[in-house]
Amino acid sequence: MILIGENLNVISKTLGPALKDRNAGPIQQMAKEETAAGIDLIDLNIGPARRGGDELMAWVVETVQSVTDKMLSLDTTNMDAMEAGMKVRQGKVLMNSISLQSSRIDRGLEMAQKHNADLIGLLWSNDGMPRDVNERAMHTVDFLYKASQAGIPNERIWIDPIASPVSVEINQVKACVEFMGMLGDIAPGCKSTVGLSNISNGAPSDLRCWLNRTYLIMLMRYGLYSAIVDAFDKDLMAISRGQRPDIVELVHKMMDGEKPDIASLPKEMQNYARTVRVLMGESLYSHSWLEV
Amino acid sequence: MPFEIPKTAYSGKIREITLGKGDKAVTVGGESAYPFYLFEGQMPNLPRIAMEVYDMPPEDWAEAALEPFADVANDPVAWAQKCIKDYGAEMICLQLLSTDPNGENRPADEATAVVKKVADAIDVPLIVWGTANHDKDTEVLRAVAEAVQDKSLILGPVEEADHKKIGAAAIGYKHVVIASTPIDINLAKQLNILLGNLGVPDDLLVIDPTVSGVGYGIEYCYSVMERMRMAALTQQDTKLQFPIICNIAKETWKTKEAKTKDDPKLGNAKKRGILLEALSATILLMAGADVLIMRHPDAIKLVREMITDLTAK
Repeated sequence: MILIGENLNVISKTLGPALKDRNAGPIQQMAKEETAAGIDLIDLNIGPARRGGDELMAWVVETVQSVTDKMLSLDTTNMDAMEAGMKVRQGKVLMNSISLQSSRIDRGLEMAQKHNADLIGLLWSNDGMPRDVNERAMHTVDFLYKASQAGIPNERIWIDPIASPVSVEINQVKACVEFMGMLGDIAPGCKSTVGLSNISNGAPSDLRCWLNRTYLIMLMRYGLYSAIVDAFDKDLMAISRGQRPDIVELVHKMMDGEKPDIASLPKEMQNYARTVRVLMGESLYSHSWLEV
Repeated sequence: MPFEIPKTAYSGKIREITLGKGDKAVTVGGESAYPFYLFEGQMPNLPRIAMEVYDMPPEDWAEAALEPFADVANDPVAWAQKCIKDYGAEMICLQLLSTDPNGENRPADEATAVVKKVADAIDVPLIVWGTANHDKDTEVLRAVAEAVQDKSLILGPVEEADHKKIGAAAIGYKHVVIASTPIDINLAKQLNILLGNLGVPDDLLVIDPTVSGVGYGIEYCYSVMERMRMAALTQQDTKLQFPIICNIAKETWKTKEAKTKDDPKLGNAKKRGILLEALSATILLMAGADVLIMRHPDAIKLVREMITDLTAK
């Protein structure tokens, strides 16, 4: 499992202003901490950055690559900023992301080809979010076809089927898992990723980790290649590094239909079991889902 | 091979809740199938209609809505009695409009005196509905709960922000709590859990999912209520197995479409307003409403006929 750290982000209360003021200290500090936490890639999320995004991304890339040798993921919807970042990048880069929208895909693919970059293929089309598993499959095929025409092999494409919050629409949560099970057949060689923390958007912040970790294990079952995650969730790190086979086994058994006596499990396992029930749509989410 | 009609596999049942006290108390809920799916399960208690009464003379109402109550608009007691005597109301919903801090802002003690007068004058169950202002509702509904403690009122809206204080008063004096959330199934479940944690017994809780009328997002209300019933009946979600109450009258009658006078394009105003209310109520019945709070006697008549038709043997 390849982990992409999400924490270097413009919405952070400390890093947002640091980005704006070009204050390298906090940015480099975060990059070092994510590196030390054992993350594989560092996501540089500068947001939409409509004005001056190009200059900002170039600065962030230079600032970060001077303190870490990790692969960088350039996270912006501003394609000028993306290109400016890639120009100054020395080393491997992941474009986060290129959506299927007709205003973005052609230029995005051209840039990926020119800079020999990996890219996240976000299954977000002109019609917005895919509505179910079939639309995800259809968009994947479209995306890979266009990428192949632009000369980019499947191996450089990380498909993101879009995880949506558990409290919004459970069928979308399930569709994303189901899709992951199909991806290998639809797109041989293709990689995958998911913005994991989105699953817990709207949940009480101290409980979000349970949803994040459990959903990761469910997606791992179908060969999820990578995920964009909170770099400082130690349990999540342990799970993805194969150090918690007990939890993984519980979750996967429940996905196969086993129904453990939840009340008899230790509290940690209870939390995972209850979260599986919610994420599989067997029990309706509420903020107190770990208690009922 | 003979054709078999597919059947939903139900694993849960809506709780039966008794509203009010004495001979005129009504029991709602108890469904073991989707609304009016009498070919799949039981609906032991038919949906009930509560008629609205306001604690101050309504302003700016459509002519058609005011007309039946014009002679009693100044007197909530007479209004409630008229609903029961002339229109056969099985329940009354007293809307405490006068307590709105952005309007008359009548103090809690005065509002409470009105509730008590109405409660003493009628024998059908009494719903007391505040203004959804958390501070004011807390003050008013707590006072009401204490002052009318022998009547088993139905108190709402009780929202997350005021559920502890109003909930505690309801527990203390054994009133039914209306758990109100903004058209969101997850928040509805959460509030029911919180009220349960607080100590509200399961037989003193009904759900207000927050509704709107035809043309104003009723599809969304329908969908949320439908999903509540799916969770309650097919997923054994005990935290959603409660009757649903819909405060629909004011949502339909406040719209431009209900208030516009006779109009070449929109047609006769009275007929239009009544149909808007009746249709909205019917849609909510289909989604799982157990109690409808309604206004116009003709709209109520239409909905009663619909319930009779749908449950005819």
